Amino acid sequence: MTARGARAFARPRLWRALGWAIVFAAVPALAQPGPGGDGAALPPEEPAGYRLDAYRAPTPATLAGARVLSTPQAETLWRDHAAVFIDVLPRPPRPANLPAGTLWRDAPHASIPGSLWLPNTGFGALAPETEDYLKSGLAAATGGDRMRPLVLFCQRQCWMSWNAAKRALSYGYGNVSWYPEGTDGWSAAGLPLETAEPR
Amino acid sequence: MVAQALSHPLSRREVIAALTIAVLAPVCGGPLPASAAEPAAGASPAAPPETTWAGIRGDIFGERAIGEAGDVVAMEAPARAEDAAMVPLALRLAAPEGTTLKALTLVIDENPSPVAGTFTFGPGRTAFMLSTRVRVNSYSFVRAVAETSDGRLFMAKAFVKASGGCSAPATKDPAEAASHAGEIRFRSFAGTGQREAQVQIRHPNYSGLQMDQVTRLYTPAWFVREARVSQDGRPIFAMEGGISISEDPTFRFSFEAAGTPVEVEAQDTEGKTFTATFAP
Repeated sequence: MTARGARAFARPRLWRALGWAIVFAAVPALAQPGPGGDGAALPPEEPAGYRLDAYRAPTPATLAGARVLSTPQAETLWRDHAAVFIDVLPRPPRPANLPAGTLWRDAPHASIPGSLWLPNTGFGALAPETEDYLKSGLAAATGGDRMRPLVLFCQRQCWMSWNAAKRALSYGYGNVSWYPEGTDGWSAAGLPLETAEPR
Repeated sequence: MVAQALSHPLSRREVIAALTIAVLAPVCGGPLPASAAEPAAGASPAAPPETTWAGIRGDIFGERAIGEAGDVVAMEAPARAEDAAMVPLALRLAAPEGTTLKALTLVIDENPSPVAGTFTFGPGRTAFMLSTRVRVNSYSFVRAVAETSDGRLFMAKAFVKASGGCSAPATKDPAEAASHAGEIRFRSFAGTGQREAQVQIRHPNYSGLQMDQVTRLYTPAWFVREARVSQDGRPIFAMEGGISISEDPTFRFSFEAAGTPVEVEAQDTEGKTFTATFAP
């Protein structure tokens, strides 16, 4: 056996394989086009008004007048009880006029503990009834204090939270945050969710 | 350690080991983040959980045993729907020796109203083909449970990737759809050598989960609740439908052209009755 062969034999093969594994695993990541490159998904520009359809789509990086929160930033506010969290994930109510005996099962929803769920308030245009529901929900959650910090969220790539945060600003709330990652980013970070019911 | 490992050429076995680890690592590294409504495409090939079914099964079938589909019920459904509001389902039923077909229940687990429709068959029928179109609201198992005359249940199931089917806006203008509601069309395919026919009942079949684009409120549910198709007075099949049957409910079914008239009768949730007779 040559001296080189002996060295290779003595070295744990697992470590060498692991080393290369890291290199191979990194290749696809390195091959991703950078910002501005072909195929790079740049966030869309902020529209002037509300988003009116196709709500499950990439969202802007900003919301004029609001703070945009990362998951760690949202977590800090949540741990410090420093903001009121508002979930706007939509869920249609059971239609009032279903035949008697119709089996109905609302899809269960897990949300950020302590948050207030105001479903269907993130659409781009709201019926007066729905807008009243949003206004009264926000008023109840903040105790009528428009400077109370608010965090609006739903799920990742959901314009409804963007719309709702924009709407809260229009109502005169002065400390509005938008948490675009929503419950998806929250649970991906290992943070707890709990079963929620609409207000 | 890594740098040291990289400083020497690898044997082929080591390259294979390294590639295997690199490929598997992202999968084994932990649960993939995926929203409930849209599981990550191409995620685990393992069967999705059936927790919803476990929760609704008893509400629909009580404690009754449900057997495997076997040769009794077969269902064709797309793995990924092109249009979640119109997902085609095709069922083939064959009663076991010595029994006849009694009923077929279509269940879409994740729809808020999971029972899409229940079909019953005329007496003495041992085989039947039925196809229709349904709404699928989120990635879901779709189930076809056949009941035979001896009271046994047999289930076929398929996992369908579709979302938003129940809340998708109607494709037709509401006023126009309302003005044509209840018009019935019938077509026999006997001329093409197929022992099948199709009935379509024009109706918006509002699910109650569709947003009215003008009022921005949910359009109230309004759908075909019952339909009966018979031939020369003898029932072929009847349906009790829910909100998950697609607009303009359409049924293609086993049919023997016998030179006799076909009668169709339907009733919607507002109590309106629609009837039509089609001469042979």
